[in-house]
Parts: sequence; structure tokens; C-alpha cells
Amino acid sequence: MADTTPLLEVRNLTVEFRTEHGIARAVDNISFDVGFGEALGVVGESGCGKSVTALAILGLIPSPPGRIAAGSIKLNGRELVGLPESKLRKIRGSEISMIFQEPMTALNPVFTVGNQMSDVLRRHKGLSRKQAREDAAELLRLVGIPDPKQRLREYPHELSGGMRQRVMIAMAVSCSPKLLIADEPTTALDVTTQAQVLEEINLLREKLGTAVLFITHDLGVIAELCDRAIVMYCGMIVEEAPIEPLYDRPRHPYTEGLLASIPRIRDRKLKRLPTIAGMVPDLLQLPDGCRFADRCEKATGRCQLEIPTLEGARKRKVACFHPVNG
Amino acid sequence: MSVAGETLAGAGDLTLRKTRESLWSKARYKFRHDVWGMVALGIVLVYFVIALGVWLGIWGQGWSAVGGEKWGSMSAEYWFGTNIIGQDVYDRAIYSIKTAFEIGLVVAVLSTVMGAVLGAIAGFFQGSWTDEVILWLMGVLDSIPFYLFVAAVAFALGGYAYSMHLAMIAVFWTITARLVRGEVIKLKNFEFVEAAHAIGVPHFLIIFRHIMPNTLHILLVQSTIVFVAAIKTEVILSFLGLGVKDGVSWGLMIAESTQEVLAGHFNNFVAASVLMFGLVMAFNMFADSLQDALDPKKVS
Amino acid sequence: MMNETQPLLTVRNLKKYFPMKAGMFRKGTPLKAVDDVSFDLETGKTLGLVGESGCGKSTLGRAILRLHEPTSGEVILDSKPVTGVKHGALMLQRRKMQIIFQDPYASLNPRRTVYQTVREPLDIHKVGDPKERRHTVEILLERVGLRRQVMDRYPHEFSGGQRQRVGIARALALNPKFIVADEPVSALDVSVQSQVLNLIADLQKDMGIAFLFISHDLAVVQHVSDHVAVMYLGKLVEMGPAASIYKDPRHPYTQALLSAIPNPDPKHRKKHVVLSGDVPSPVNPPSGCPFHTRCPRVMDICKKETPVQTNQGNATNPHLVSCHLYS
Repeated sequence: MADTTPLLEVRNLTVEFRTEHGIARAVDNISFDVGFGEALGVVGESGCGKSVTALAILGLIPSPPGRIAAGSIKLNGRELVGLPESKLRKIRGSEISMIFQEPMTALNPVFTVGNQMSDVLRRHKGLSRKQAREDAAELLRLVGIPDPKQRLREYPHELSGGMRQRVMIAMAVSCSPKLLIADEPTTALDVTTQAQVLEEINLLREKLGTAVLFITHDLGVIAELCDRAIVMYCGMIVEEAPIEPLYDRPRHPYTEGLLASIPRIRDRKLKRLPTIAGMVPDLLQLPDGCRFADRCEKATGRCQLEIPTLEGARKRKVACFHPVNG
Repeated sequence: MSVAGETLAGAGDLTLRKTRESLWSKARYKFRHDVWGMVALGIVLVYFVIALGVWLGIWGQGWSAVGGEKWGSMSAEYWFGTNIIGQDVYDRAIYSIKTAFEIGLVVAVLSTVMGAVLGAIAGFFQGSWTDEVILWLMGVLDSIPFYLFVAAVAFALGGYAYSMHLAMIAVFWTITARLVRGEVIKLKNFEFVEAAHAIGVPHFLIIFRHIMPNTLHILLVQSTIVFVAAIKTEVILSFLGLGVKDGVSWGLMIAESTQEVLAGHFNNFVAASVLMFGLVMAFNMFADSLQDALDPKKVS
Repeated sequence: MMNETQPLLTVRNLKKYFPMKAGMFRKGTPLKAVDDVSFDLETGKTLGLVGESGCGKSTLGRAILRLHEPTSGEVILDSKPVTGVKHGALMLQRRKMQIIFQDPYASLNPRRTVYQTVREPLDIHKVGDPKERRHTVEILLERVGLRRQVMDRYPHEFSGGQRQRVGIARALALNPKFIVADEPVSALDVSVQSQVLNLIADLQKDMGIAFLFISHDLAVVQHVSDHVAVMYLGKLVEMGPAASIYKDPRHPYTQALLSAIPNPDPKHRKKHVVLSGDVPSPVNPPSGCPFHTRCPRVMDICKKETPVQTNQGNATNPHLVSCHLYS
């Protein structure tokens, strides 16, 4: 982890969507860094803005109705916001690449795996047809696919969900990107397959030194894979911390509640699972103050009126007036 | 969003999202922002008001009166001139709007209802003999050349005034039925349909209460398409002498004009084709916008 | 599980095969979605049914309710048969058994209000007089934690968790004795998940309903279950008291499932038992033990012979395992 200049620098990013009922601010003024080779987890429940953040970094916000309203995204010191689509396309796939939740939609069903993989390699690396084919087989071997030559001849629908996700990972790392964005890559998979895929991602990270931005709702997955995590709620970052202290002593009441309510194997069955009361507010009807205030046991009058800012030492930040475990 | 007091289940999941969007509210929003769709709807409404006026006897009543001279030119009395026997072309063209709406509405509504019911039954009992019979019927009807079929129906019914309507309904419902059948096959595996089975809701209630209402968006779009198709088909059929028996229509006017155009009189021809073009064009644009607005895939 | 008292639900040798077309006239080998499953469930108890996607757990739940007509086998609920009976008798049984679904968006008819949805079972089975039914619906909604003011709203105005509560209210309307809950929380956010799980646990305690709780998530199942059954390729490979399954899993598949769960504790990044390969196709399942292709402890006999079920617990609390390691 290089401490001087980060690989990815997101500053005051705000993304808005126009809807029939008004402007929804899906991501509201967030800032964070990803260091070289670092694995950063982004956790939050549906609608918290974690996927929108990823799309913004890739320059894939559908517009209209969406737009990056403010902020900057720098990759290796180079500004990405406002770059023309042609330049962004070149960056996607070579410097940043992405793995999606549902690999079937990201793979073209009418071409073989080999065709699609060598196509990417030839376009971005200028390899010959034969060389691209060989590299593709090598990549499949790298992500733990047995008999890669045979797999190259198969169509996406002939592969199982886990295999497809590995093919996606192989394609994503084929041009040795500096940053890999993984948006819920294992959510659609079974537990045993999820364990396999997570292990492959971990191994790849060690081998290639790629930084990973890992987006998920599953705190268990983050704990296994990441060095650091940010917790998002209603478009804002509420907490940022290295993994161990985050799970050990979460500072934000939301993080604490989220950690407590994960179903996990326990030695003894609990009478009741801990919950967070209420539900996530509507993005179009956000409260004036802290967005978690209505669900928070520690909320005071100040929380209803003022939005807390993300503060703290470099790597341990929390946006709360009454942090816990302090 | 506050949490209300007594929560028996120990959870405060009580507040409603006021801004959650349904398919319909999104569609309305999209349609209102579609300028051409709104313009087209406006034009269709103007036509509709004219047709309503004719139906109520406010205007267009002199369509059959023989008053003017043969092939009279445009004048203050006869805005579009007169035809070969001295009838007012303007009144005839206006009256034809009513004829067009009558045919369009009758055919669109009846063929859509028929297609919806038979398509839903076929889809719900997919693979059974009921489905096979309905599919076979659709296949047969689709394979008969259309104009031959209309002629046969007209002949069989011995000049019955509505034989053209019947023939069109008999042919147009199959398209709707196929679309509905496909949608129903998708819908019947939805969990809310399974829930109805689990409760013990009888099959016919499942079809009409739970499945059919969810195909409304297809029916709406399909009926607008059939409406336009019926108007255009009427023109061709009337031109061929298989169409309107009683009253006047654009098709009859154009048929009349074949003699006149050679003699250099374009009144009938221009009046009928321009009015028809306007209505068909506007209705098509309206149908397209409606389809865009209702397409769940395009509703982001 | 097998006490002297009559269990509420008895499932015996239940099979559900789906015919597969191999060609125009030839019937192919059937897909054995549920293959010879037997178990008992007592009043007010929950059996957690765990397995990966495609293992047949949802089909099993639906076959018990005859939402899928079983190929063969017997289901007895409340001392009366569910399988092999005519429409009238089945309708009487339907009042006692209900289902809760996974997808809170697909499980409610978008064109019907909450009131219409929850009232429908009362109308169909003519429960009480029509005037009372509105009041019954109010009580049901309150029971699941929704205000009566929401009755005339349509599903799209609700969040996922709220919709799931409406689905639960619909299932409770007929006061059933047995509910199949098919992945009821897996589509919900973590914080809402625990709210719904607590609700289900409360209902069970207060109303004495027996649940078949189907899930892919062993952690979720632990919270609600008295007994746990593990399913693989249409067969139950292990079944026993929840405590015993979690503390002392016997079948290598159960062990692998438990080990694969990501642990939300970064200090104990554990070494997972990672299974190789994927679940084989149920159309063409492996010979012998269905798990032998992925089993880390596979032996020669596993490829040839189907293992018999053995009891690794005791007579009062049987812990049944189908594995050659224990025979």
C-alpha cells in the first residue's frame, strides 16, 4: 500500500438522477482513496449508492437521467470526470475493469468464450489471433478453470454460474488492469461456489498486485477479502476504517447495527436477532439532518438538524455526532 | 420517516414510500414528456370530436343529399366541391371520419377482447388440448389469404352490413392472442399466481383476476395498432367493393374518384386521402409513443 | 422427530420427476428434482431445509403443497392425506397449509391492493361472514406489523420488507397449521432480514405453526430451526436436530457448506474446505452417492453404491446421515 499518491482518488463525488418526482441524489459528496494493490470494500444496503459509485468511476452512469453533478475522480493522477467516451472506453478494460453480479448478462451468448476473450486481448493488447487464443487459455488456467482449451470452445450458456464468473474475472484481468471493480460478484452464486471464486480473487490479487474495489452488501465477504472498508448509507459515507477495527469496534451506530444483524452461525441460538428499526429513507424525501437519525437510538436534536461530516484520523473516519465504542 | 408506536412484530417497518413508481405512473410521466406523442394524441382527439359531432347529428348530415351540380368546384356552400351526382364532398369526408372511428373501435375492441380471452386461456393451459385447439385455429385463420377470406365471409353472409367487421375481427384477434399467450406463460409462473393456487383460487378466477389485468399494457398497445389497421383495411375493402354497405367512407370516396381523377376532378380523392392520412399518421405516432411509454424494458 | 404422538406432517418417499423431451417422439430421462424424500414434522416446530440452487428444495416444498403434482409418494397433514385426494378434500387441506415466497416483488399481484390480496383466501374459503372479513384483514396486518391505513395501497408503494409482511399476512389468513417458507428473507437487505426472521419466530411461538423453512443460507436457518435437513441433488443427505447438525455435521457436504460461509470476523480468516467442481446436472446424476464427484473423502464404494441412511444420534433424537463413511 503506497501512502504517498493513491491509485484512485475520489473527491466530493455527487451523482444525481432525474426522476418524475424530482432529483434523487444517489451519491452525495463522497471522497475516498484506493491505494496501489489495496483491496477496499464498499458496504451498504440496496440503494445506498455503492453501485452508482462504481459506475461513476467507470464513466458508465446512464445519462439521461443520471449525471455526475460535482466532484472529481482521478486515476493515477489523471482526471476521469469529463473525459470523452472514446478515451474512457480505452481506460475501461485496460486500466480499470469490472466484474458484475450477473455474468450471463455481461457475456455475449452468441459467441464462444474463446472468441470473446481473444477479442478483448487483440483489441487492447494488439496480439495476433493465435497468441490471443493462447493467452486466453493461460488466463482461464490462472482463475482455476480446468481444461481451459475445451472451455474456450464453449458458449456462455454451457458453463455453470461459477465458471461464468471465473471467465468474467479472467477477462477482467486480461489486460492487467491497475484497478478491478467487483460489484457483488458472488451474490448470485451458491455458498460453495462463492468460496471458490473469492479464493480465486484473493490469489489473483497476490499474483498480479491489482487493486480491488469490492462492492457488496455482505459484511462476511468484506471481512475475508479486504484491507479496508467504507460503509455507505443513503448516498453518503458514514464510516471508513481498516477491516479489523471496523469489525472490532465500529464507531457509527449504523455499522454497529449492520454488524449485529448479520445472520451468522452462533454457538447458541439467540432468542431474537438484533435489528435496526425502521427502514432506509426515500432518496427523494431525505431528512434534513443525519440520514440515519430516525433509525438511531443515540440520535439527539442536533442529529435531526445537522448532517455530520466524515471526520477522524487518516484511516479511521466516522460521520456521527455521537459515535459509539469511543 | 418516523417509526410508529405499537409494533407488535418488534420492527418499525411501517412507513410507506410515497414516491415509489408503478408501471402506470412511469408510463404517464414518459408519455407526457413525449412531445410528438402528445401532438399525435391532440390530432386524434380533434378527429374524435368531429366523429362525435357527426354521431350526435351536429354536422356532416348532408352527406347523401344531392344538391349541387355535377363536379361542382369549391365554393362557400360546398367547401370541397361536389361529386359526380352533386353530393357535398366536405360532408361526405367528415361523415367518413365517423365511419372510420366506428370501424376502428368496433374491430379494435372486439378483436382485442377475443384475443385476450383466448390467448390467456391458451397460455394458462399451455400444452393441453385447449391450447392446441386455439393454436390450430390461429394457424388456420392466419394461413387464409386475407382478402379472399373477407370476400368469402361477405358472400356467406349475403351482403350483411357488418360482414367486413366480422371478417376483420376474425383475422386480427390472432396477433393479440399470440402476444397475450406469451405473456401469460411468463406470468403464470410468477409467485403471486402460485400463491393463488396455494389458496385454492379456481382456475378461471386466477386467469381473470390475477393474470389478465397484468396484460393490460399489451392490450392497450395492441388495440391501437388494430384500430389503425382496421381503418386502412376498410379503405382497401371498400375500394374493392367488399366494404361499407351503408353510409359513406373514405374507401368509397376513393373508389368513386377513380373515374373522376381521369376526368381531372381531384376533390373526392384529395379530401378522402388527406383526412385518412392525417388520422392514420397521428394514430400511429400515438401508438408508438404509447408502446415506448409502456414498455417495461425501456422504463428505467 | 419420530415420537409416539402423531406428527403434524408426514412425508413418505416423495418423488417429483419432470419429464424431459429428448426428441420429437422420444421421452428422455426425467429430471429427478425430488428423489425419495421422507420426513416428519411436529406441530409448532420448524424444519430448516438447506441446499444449493437446483438441489430441489423449492420443488420439494411445492410438491408437499401439491403446487407441483408429486410423481409418487405420500403426504399426510393433520392425519389426513394431501396426495391422492380429489379437489374437494384438497381444498379442505389447503386451509391448513400455506406458502411464503422469496421474491417480494413477484409474490404480490401488482394490480391488487393489500386489502384485496389478504382478503382473497378468506373469500375463497368463505371464512366468517363477509362483513367480518375486513376486520380480520385489519387484525392480520397488525399482526405482521403493518398499519391498517395501508390497506388500500398497491404493492409498488411498499418496500421489499413490507411486501414480505403482506405475503406473510396472506399466508396467515386461513390460520394454517403448516407453512412452507421458501427463501423468505434472501431477497431482503440485512437489516430488514432480521426483522422478518424475528417476525416468523414470533408467529411460530404465538400461533403454533409448523414451518418448512427453505434457505440456501445455513446461518439464517440456524436462527429459526429446530431440526435441519440438508439436500443435495434431490436427496436428503443429512437430517437431525439443529444443535447437532451445527455442532457435529457428519456428511462431508454439510461440513463443506458450513465451512464455506464467509465469516464476518476479519481476525479469524478461516481456511475454507473448498469443494472442487460444480453441482452435477440432476438430469444425469452421478451413480452411487450423488456427492461422490465433489466429495473430499470419496472412497471406491461411493461411486458404485447408493449409501443407506444411518442414525448417528439416538432413538429419541435421530441424526440421520446418508454416507458410506458411517455405514
